[in-house]
Amino acid sequence: MSAAATADGTVVPPPRVVPKINPANAVTASRFLTLPPFVWAVHTGQHQWATLFILICGVLDKLDGLAAKIFDCRSQFGELFDAITDGICYGFALIIIAAYGWAPIIPCVVLVVLGGLNTAFRAVYIKRAGRSINYKSYAMERVVGYVAYMIGFATANMEVQFFYWVFVPVMVVVCAHDAKRMLLDPIPEGTK
Amino acid sequence: MTEELVSDHAFHVWLTIMVGGIGVWLVWWEVRNLLRLRGKSTADAGVRDQYFGYISGLVIAAIAIVGTLKYNHAF
Repeated sequence: MSAAATADGTVVPPPRVVPKINPANAVTASRFLTLPPFVWAVHTGQHQWATLFILICGVLDKLDGLAAKIFDCRSQFGELFDAITDGICYGFALIIIAAYGWAPIIPCVVLVVLGGLNTAFRAVYIKRAGRSINYKSYAMERVVGYVAYMIGFATANMEVQFFYWVFVPVMVVVCAHDAKRMLLDPIPEGTK
Repeated sequence: MTEELVSDHAFHVWLTIMVGGIGVWLVWWEVRNLLRLRGKSTADAGVRDQYFGYISGLVIAAIAIVGTLKYNHAF
């Protein structure tokens, strides 16, 4: 893409195109590799190993942002891919631990359903904005961080009932808040 | 690879430091974030979202701290 000139002669450089296959997205995608050994650890009843694999998945979540900074490959797609990977990895892990009886089923079902709804609302938000854009929510960032910990609480067998049941109302309130913002509120200027 | 990684006691101590420590750190982090918002108008949706996010963070921090205390039989 070549540079374009405006009416007053100012040369505007073309927008930088970041390829979808880049180091940051590779780190994000590598998080899926922690899921098979996680399932194996849960299946064979090894709590510490399962905790280790979900911890690696969480650490990689932090490293992809660092890779994007180091290799200068930040993109809207990368942010979206990161959010979707969070949902898939943690949603899958929640289903596995609930299925094996390591965590109470009802809170897990509530979390997975609300997580799925949130992902669907993100898609609606993208449609409203008219381009690939990640909905930024300070509260949801914290909730996703906590969900990662919840899987750790279950694998480590740490006050599982307390941590799961207490979190349900928090998740409901945050999801309701974000749903209103994504579906009803006007899209902020500059992101449309 | 069929044995656990560390002793149960070491695992218990590590979890306490990890979860409790992050809970305490999160309180400090969110209070600092909230203090930075002083003077900004809540008429702005972005600022309101930040308030909501930081208060949610404080609630999560409280859950982490109480859960860690419970794990250590503090009550």
